[in-house]
Amino acid sequence: MSQSQPTEADAEPESEPESFTGQGLPRVEDHRILTGEAEYIHDVTPENCLHMALVRSMHAHAEVVDIDASEAEDHPDCELVLTAEDLKANYNPMPTGVGRIEIGASGEAVELPEWSLADEKVRFVGEPVALVVASNRYAAEDVADLVTVEYDTLEAVADGMAAREDEVVVHESIGTNVVDHERIEFGDPETAFEDADHVVSGEYSWGRISGVPLETAGVVATYDEETDSFDVDCNIQLHTLVDDTIYETLGYDADDVRVNVPADVGGSYGTKIAIHRYCCLAAMASQQLNRPVKFEEDRIENLQGGDVHSSDREYEIRMAVDDDGTMRGLDVWFVDDFGAFPRYPINQVLKPLSVVTNSYVIDDVAYEYDLVLTNKTSQTAYRGFGVDPHIYALEMVVDAAAREIGMDPTEFRRRNLITPDQMPYTLPSKNVYDSGDYPATLDRIEEIIEDERDGGLLDPDVVAEKREEGKYRGVQTSVIIEPGVSGSDWTDRQRSNREALESRSREEVDELPEHLRAELREDGTVRAYLATDSSGQGHQTLVSQLLADELEILPSEIDVDYLDSVDAPTEYGSAASRMAVMLSGATVGLAERLVERAEELAADHWDVPADDVSYRDGTVELIDGSDSLSLADLAELDAERDERLTRVSYNYDHPALEHEEFDEAFRRKFPVYPTAAFGANAPIVEVDVGTGEVEILKFHTVRDCGTMLNPTIVEGQAHGGIAQGVGAALLEEFGYEADGQPQAITLFDYLLPSIETVPEIEMEHTETPSPYTETGAKGVGEGGMIDAPASIATSINAALEPLSLDEPADRIPVAPDHLRSKIRDAEE
Amino acid sequence: MSTDSTGEYDAPEPREITVTVNGESVTAAVEPRLKLSDFLRTECGLNGVRVGCEHGVCGACTVQQDGRAVKSCLSYAVQADGAEIETVEGLADDDGSLHPIQEAFHETHALQCGFCTSGFVVATKELLEENPDPTREEIERGLADNICRCTGYQNIYEAVERAAAKMRE
Ligand code: FES
Ligand code: FES
Repeated sequence: MSQSQPTEADAEPESEPESFTGQGLPRVEDHRILTGEAEYIHDVTPENCLHMALVRSMHAHAEVVDIDASEAEDHPDCELVLTAEDLKANYNPMPTGVGRIEIGASGEAVELPEWSLADEKVRFVGEPVALVVASNRYAAEDVADLVTVEYDTLEAVADGMAAREDEVVVHESIGTNVVDHERIEFGDPETAFEDADHVVSGEYSWGRISGVPLETAGVVATYDEETDSFDVDCNIQLHTLVDDTIYETLGYDADDVRVNVPADVGGSYGTKIAIHRYCCLAAMASQQLNRPVKFEEDRIENLQGGDVHSSDREYEIRMAVDDDGTMRGLDVWFVDDFGAFPRYPINQVLKPLSVVTNSYVIDDVAYEYDLVLTNKTSQTAYRGFGVDPHIYALEMVVDAAAREIGMDPTEFRRRNLITPDQMPYTLPSKNVYDSGDYPATLDRIEEIIEDERDGGLLDPDVVAEKREEGKYRGVQTSVIIEPGVSGSDWTDRQRSNREALESRSREEVDELPEHLRAELREDGTVRAYLATDSSGQGHQTLVSQLLADELEILPSEIDVDYLDSVDAPTEYGSAASRMAVMLSGATVGLAERLVERAEELAADHWDVPADDVSYRDGTVELIDGSDSLSLADLAELDAERDERLTRVSYNYDHPALEHEEFDEAFRRKFPVYPTAAFGANAPIVEVDVGTGEVEILKFHTVRDCGTMLNPTIVEGQAHGGIAQGVGAALLEEFGYEADGQPQAITLFDYLLPSIETVPEIEMEHTETPSPYTETGAKGVGEGGMIDAPASIATSINAALEPLSLDEPADRIPVAPDHLRSKIRDAEE
Repeated sequence: MSTDSTGEYDAPEPREITVTVNGESVTAAVEPRLKLSDFLRTECGLNGVRVGCEHGVCGACTVQQDGRAVKSCLSYAVQADGAEIETVEGLADDDGSLHPIQEAFHETHALQCGFCTSGFVVATKELLEENPDPTREEIERGLADNICRCTGYQNIYEAVERAAAKMRE
């Protein structure tokens, strides 16, 4: 059980504040972490536990001719070796994101099974081929080394654009690498492009990046023969949503596979939703051996073949624009390289529709993508969920259009911004922006930059002096939107009959609510239970402070625990910037229910009508003031009853359901994100033209995520998101050789931003409440990562403008070698 | 680890070592290839020593060995024979009250998922022992060997400055 009660010093300030919500209360999670007591999954090692290691493919594409495990089995510490053959006899393939693929003219549907161990063929470097189990991790790795695999290598394809040609096909059963494609038109883009004064186009690349949390994947699986069921303790993200990837693979019912995530997970940022392969393999091994089996992924496995890379895109984007600076049309086309299997987060290619025109009014839009497979490790989700590359490509073409018509890029942006009187604003792609003053935000960031020009980092004298040294400073402000609180119904659009959606009725929409539980304990304190997992976002703190306000007690009288996948209903979980909104809505409903029950108990006890009692400050009073009962008294009364009244649960419905402006998006399964956090960025960059190195001198940002429930946590999320955006923009990439060999398999190759590379972040906040949510909060978990790469790229282009290069930042990451080759080309 | 080569491994004899860990003497027979990080986690039960990369980049495994902050994944337990090791578990007082560095990290929200935190706290301790009043640049240099993927470091500067102030008091 995790400790989550705040220390007295934190929660009981000298004069009690009006409300805990809205305050930057320090977190209840911290104490156990700071003292080293927190138990992460790597720290869980039950008695009698064995350890698993994996034999992985060294080839990107090869037939598996033979697996010889005899030597491994002879090792004195070896307990088990399993290969695909064993799995196929006893278990199922893992569910994939695109379940069935229609091929050829006949439209025949073909399955695309992904076995947890490669079956007959390997499709990426690092793909597991066999599992071994031994007495400890060191021995397990020794045993893995003794498994001999004979391969017949095949030509590989490791480039998304090339994969579209189908010269090398990753899955011969479907005959093509393009496993999903859609073109969607909103308004009349064709006419807009014909009529506009100019059409501007650009090609932009987004290199393969990902979250790379400091903690790798881990699992401890225990099969219980007596009940024929499994306990799977692991650090998977969304354990109540994606548990099907585990129980379906094992061939069991949901109730027989208890997926439990520790209170502390060492970061995920979306990535760990896809670690189910490990959960399945450890569970299978445990069933075969009838003992607990543990797997701790190592960093090389994680980077090379851990199924956790993310978006990897090539964009061709066009904008139709008039001489007067009106954006007329947008045409987006891209290829996303999903690696060897199209796993669950395939809808990353669709999420950009929720912010398709960013903060601009553009009525006519075409959106088209090809989702392709290659010989690389499979994609997972990452903070931003595919929106980050879209915003980057869009902001690049906005700058290109401004150059084309000879207008100042900031002025061009301002002219096309959605204005406050247009709120709520329905995008052509049918999602709705809730509230905000975008022009005021742009004005504010411009003011800040003006100050920098006046004796600050951008003072003309300083800029000129630096330029003499070959250091080019510059900035280009840009505007940002963070879509929040995703609905769940739209997420299976690609597994639906898309034509039928056009005539789908609103009644068919099926959303997952947020589930929250609480109980009154004997001593009058309250314990709440979250049905979602956390990985550093401070959900325990948030719920205790919100619940304290609703119940009019102190946060220190509340602690917060977690439910496993069997005890919790299926629900969405911590993703898509949802939790602040969903947990606050659920907390309000839950508290109301608990108060009602407390009053009912008291009325029963005093034998008076319910109207004669009232709840206040953690006690129920008779309204004539003659008697009162504390929460502890009520707990005692309740304990005597057969059915406990003070155990309550509440399901908070998705907030967009009750607003008909979202009906069309819901019906047609377009992304529904009812909150739009917004802002503007201005990172001041300095490019050393001699080395191609970019330094961000300061990152200015103005942000608005509605009501801030805990401003300290909000700021922390923005800091972290921006730091990840800096890494994406300048450092990080999972590069591949043409033959499919990965170039970044250690943290010496995949460069994470350190304290030396993350600049000072100067952040201002405004608070425009959302009209759609219980507390006015908007989703906030992904900002920074969504917008910083775009803003850094536009600033790099602006800094290098005097050199008249052709869009130096046309590829992310903007690595030194890329910039140098652009500069060299221009010099020649 | 993933290889299709074969090669028998003959485990060498365990060696007996004695290490002072958080003030207590620990004697154990260990395989020569046992990493110091794994020794501290499994033999000593000190899970606050986190392991994020096992190749010396992330700094999650940072401990003090004879006063110096070191990455415990980069050495073997046998190399620590006779050494004094301090981990994050050794920082709080016996009565449970937090060390000023721990307090400062808490008060400034310098941790989110917390996986890097032990390493940062220990690295900060070494930094402040050597330099009780570091500038921002000195903080940057002192903590450049530790990665945090969550906080963007902004609050970590503040934590270090606040801890320094507390410790100077
Ligand atoms: S685990 Fe030692 S530096 Fe990363
Ligand atoms: S708090 Fe998560 S890595 Fe630092």
